[in-house]
Amino acid sequence: MSEHTYRLSCYVENKPGVLARIVGLISGRGYNIQTLNVGPTEDGTVSRMKIDVLGTDRVVEQIILQLRNQVNVIEVSSRKI
Amino acid sequence: MKEGARNGARALVESLEKAGVEVLFGYPGGQALDIFNCLTDAKFPFVLGRHEQGCVHMADGYARSTGKPGVCLVTSGPGATNTITGLATANIDGIPLVVITGQVPMSLIGTDAFQEADTTGVARGVSKHCFLVQSADEIPEIVAEAFYIATHGKPGPVVIDIPKNCQQGLTAAQYPERVSLRAYHPESSATSSQLVKLAKLINEAKRPVIYAGGGVIASGAAGDVATLARRAGIPVATTLMGLGAFDEHDPLSLRMAGMHGTPAANWAMNEADLIVALGVRFSDRVTGKISKYAPKAKIVHVDCDPASIGKNVSAALGIVADVKDVLTTVLSRVKSATRPEWMAKIDGWKKSHPVSWEQMHPNVIMPQAVMEAIDKATKGRAVVVTDVGQHQMWAAQHFRYSIPRHFLTSGGMGTMGFGIPAAIGAAIARPDHKTVAVCGDGGAQMTFEEVVVAVEHKLPVTFVVINNGCLGMVRQWQELFYGKNYSGSILTVKGRAANERLEQDLKYDYLPDFVKLAQAHGAEAYRVIDPAKLDATIAKAIRSKRTTLVEVIVEPRANVYPMIPAGKPVSEMVFK
Repeated sequence: MSEHTYRLSCYVENKPGVLARIVGLISGRGYNIQTLNVGPTEDGTVSRMKIDVLGTDRVVEQIILQLRNQVNVIEVSSRKI
Repeated sequence: MKEGARNGARALVESLEKAGVEVLFGYPGGQALDIFNCLTDAKFPFVLGRHEQGCVHMADGYARSTGKPGVCLVTSGPGATNTITGLATANIDGIPLVVITGQVPMSLIGTDAFQEADTTGVARGVSKHCFLVQSADEIPEIVAEAFYIATHGKPGPVVIDIPKNCQQGLTAAQYPERVSLRAYHPESSATSSQLVKLAKLINEAKRPVIYAGGGVIASGAAGDVATLARRAGIPVATTLMGLGAFDEHDPLSLRMAGMHGTPAANWAMNEADLIVALGVRFSDRVTGKISKYAPKAKIVHVDCDPASIGKNVSAALGIVADVKDVLTTVLSRVKSATRPEWMAKIDGWKKSHPVSWEQMHPNVIMPQAVMEAIDKATKGRAVVVTDVGQHQMWAAQHFRYSIPRHFLTSGGMGTMGFGIPAAIGAAIARPDHKTVAVCGDGGAQMTFEEVVVAVEHKLPVTFVVINNGCLGMVRQWQELFYGKNYSGSILTVKGRAANERLEQDLKYDYLPDFVKLAQAHGAEAYRVIDPAKLDATIAKAIRSKRTTLVEVIVEPRANVYPMIPAGKPVSEMVFK
């Protein structure tokens, strides 16, 4: 299966440890994050993360499902770029 | 001082009481002293382990045998890092735990203070969730959330790291009436169209198999599996974690599937046109070569964890829901059936390839016979707790399980050292049942210190050490796949590889002497070498009201069969 770059867009609770958990979930599988951008939303208790990662459809789908399982992750979407 | 104010440590203990904690396992240390100071007034008892890894495994054994979260309290630094193996063990098997760790005061975090470790950083990858408490006011709410997270969705271990200043700080915060988490809503149920499709697949199948895993036990669905199987005439295979989810005496039982599963279970999955997978994750130890797995079957996968569906095998129908809910609602749509042709084929396999073993030498005990002796002595009703390795597989194969939560094993992580402490946790949780821990001589040495805890608490646990003088599963793989190069796997003095050779004139070949070791820990102990005395010795130990240990010297060359080598298809199953 061929690899593509995916842009994952995650809305997460703005709490300590959340960024580390999300990054760890991706890097722990041996996938390299190409770009990472974290910033506040209008709601100060929610942050938005944009994560670009190179992987196959199957792997990225697994990553998204695992991200959605995280206690502090509100919403995850993705698109190929 | 505010009304109702008390320190964070007191608030923690109150919160644990409110959460319904029945027993706390743990080990003290400097950064947990404020909490320990409040334990003497707590409504629940405290069980002192002898190593933090043992404490977590005890809480795990308690959780596996009751379904309730096990709770453990340790100190910072090494106390916390010693829990990591236990957390990983519970995490992969989906066992609910709440592990509380002391932490250095917030003012010292990041200064490399004495016994400081980044606990949440280290634990993150091996736990379901971690909390680092920032103030005493947060403690009641975090405890409530931790218990909620540990037990909802796929269960798992949750860590609460509490800096010492938060244990000492005053708070009036109260335990919340209910928990509502903003982002975590794991509950999900089957749609009616999924249920219709599931029933249709079952009703139309010619050669269906139910494949039941640990999720069936976690959701309390064993009775519903039996009802479905009997109504629709579907044979049932289980995973290692699913042993006890279906009565292995039942004619519909195929027993365990996978690498060391029964030929009937593996062949039935290979021939099936429908696999109804309930609360499983299609471990590589079951599927073997994934492209050749169940080639003729449509797969229905029901699991509470959305990430588990489609992870290893792709499912024709994936349902993210509680297994029990799905089974109770689908049942009315399922037609009665008996499937005589399919069952005749399966019965043929069971007759031609029964679960069996051969005596290799007339005077040497076969390890499989030990499990049969335990089954006989307990009438199949013991809570069997295993360690990891060959004996774990023999325990799975040569004891017939019929009751959920009566086979406790480290399935996913394969943690040696799990057996002894987990059996202690199970025996504390279920005093109404006989607990038998089956260990190898390797794993028993990893956590033997915990035997003291069983003796202190007068637990009538029987520890059976199946001693073959080697790390049997490693030795087996070396025999079969590494040209009999027994590197690092021989525990006796004789038979070691040249680079590990020891003085041959040592007084003992087998070390340690497990009988003396058990006696030194205060337990009653027996050694059995003669096959003729096996049944009587096991029965005597099991009848005892005291903590007992039986060291059984067994045939060191015995291997676990049948076996499908890792990554191979069912067709490459070997029988001896």
